[in-house]
Amino acid sequence: MRLPPFRPLHLLAALLLATPLLQGCATPPPADDKEAMEEFRQTNDPAEPTNRAIYAVNNALDVMILEPAARAYRGLTPAPVRSSVHNILSNLGSPVRLAADMAQGKPRLAGDTLMRMVINTTVGLGGVFDVATDWGYPHHDNGAGTTLAVWGMEEGPYLVLPIFGPSNPRDTGGFLTDMALDPFTYTSGPSWSIFSYSRIGATALDERERHIDDVDQIRKQALDSYATFRSLYRQHRAAEIARARMGDKSWTKPAWFAPSR
Amino acid sequence: MLSRRQILTAMLAASAALALPRLGFAQSVAGPDAVRQATDFVGGVTGKLVGIVNGGAALAEKQRALQAIVDASVAVDDVARFCLGRFWRIATPEQQKDYLRLFREVLTTNITGRVGDYAGVKLTLSRSQPREDGVMVGTTLERPNAPASPVDWLVEIGAGGPKIVDVIAEGTSLRLTQRSDYASFIARNGNNVQALIDAMKQQASR
Repeated sequence: MRLPPFRPLHLLAALLLATPLLQGCATPPPADDKEAMEEFRQTNDPAEPTNRAIYAVNNALDVMILEPAARAYRGLTPAPVRSSVHNILSNLGSPVRLAADMAQGKPRLAGDTLMRMVINTTVGLGGVFDVATDWGYPHHDNGAGTTLAVWGMEEGPYLVLPIFGPSNPRDTGGFLTDMALDPFTYTSGPSWSIFSYSRIGATALDERERHIDDVDQIRKQALDSYATFRSLYRQHRAAEIARARMGDKSWTKPAWFAPSR
Repeated sequence: MLSRRQILTAMLAASAALALPRLGFAQSVAGPDAVRQATDFVGGVTGKLVGIVNGGAALAEKQRALQAIVDASVAVDDVARFCLGRFWRIATPEQQKDYLRLFREVLTTNITGRVGDYAGVKLTLSRSQPREDGVMVGTTLERPNAPASPVDWLVEIGAGGPKIVDVIAEGTSLRLTQRSDYASFIARNGNNVQALIDAMKQQASR
């Protein structure tokens, strides 16, 4: 079987272009109801009807395809295998993380990322083992969405992207930037296509498997799961960005290095 | 810049606030004593939680013990009112009563229902910070086969002693998330609080 060449940007552009076709706008509450108006402003979801429609499709795809696949993945593989898969994927994401650390002016975090990449690719056998954490270079997440936030860009209204889920204009921009900065985006040829498709599939399985219990819980407890995911996404991003703004306090000095007093 | 007079006034206000709890007022500025009190309190509660979850008792026994902790250490009615937001004032006294009862029931079921998921859990105190609305007591949650994650406990010190009013897991506040869930549900049901109460009745009976 021949796979079509992997063109992530084409796929994403198609998805984004399809979005306005469903465009609908949320009706603001009457202007004299101050509290309701304030809530509407804080929720900042003017495209709510469209977002809800996309959320419903994403949710159905998840229930039919991704969730059963993630459960099978959990059932069929022992935890150490899943953690190795996660480590490999995380290591592949290092260049993008390094770019974000540097763009945010965080030399220590950038040093951590670079050392992690070098150590885990070599001693960690291509990222299978996360040796770097034990050696004093812990993992941290970072990306262009956070960079844009640190640079002062507002998040903008809430958006639900087809397939990719909760976002906003800033994080969508960050997502596209991350894709453009990823060296693997520029590979071509049939074997690289297989690599890219496998990476996407594995990423989806890995991410979904790690959230099985949380999503189960939300589906069971939330009266309006759309609003719950919206709130969780916003809060989670705000916390990540607050942490990124705090500065560059991590120690590049490895754990085994005796501190000189 | 703050003038010396403003600083003095603030210090006076802070010391007055520290004296207020005895009169039955919630204090507005958390001082070092409050921070210590809240930290000790959370240390005690999390210690008991972990003891129950990892203990050898039967499931029903564990759930009963957990419920006792929730009743004793969480300001459930305050959290409930927060979660209903602006709809609290729209609700009739009868609806308010129903809502408070159901909220307690649903919260307790949600917490006790997860006892089994948390086996092997470890909670250690990290850093506590005074907040305008209480003290944020930081802890680190460790579970087998999962990376350590931060869990913060917002503690208010009122007349009845310290009480937990919010839990923030990896930056997401439980009461904020709950409030947006309820607000959106009520708004989509014609701003009718009764719709929420009916839905909660269903949740509680599951």
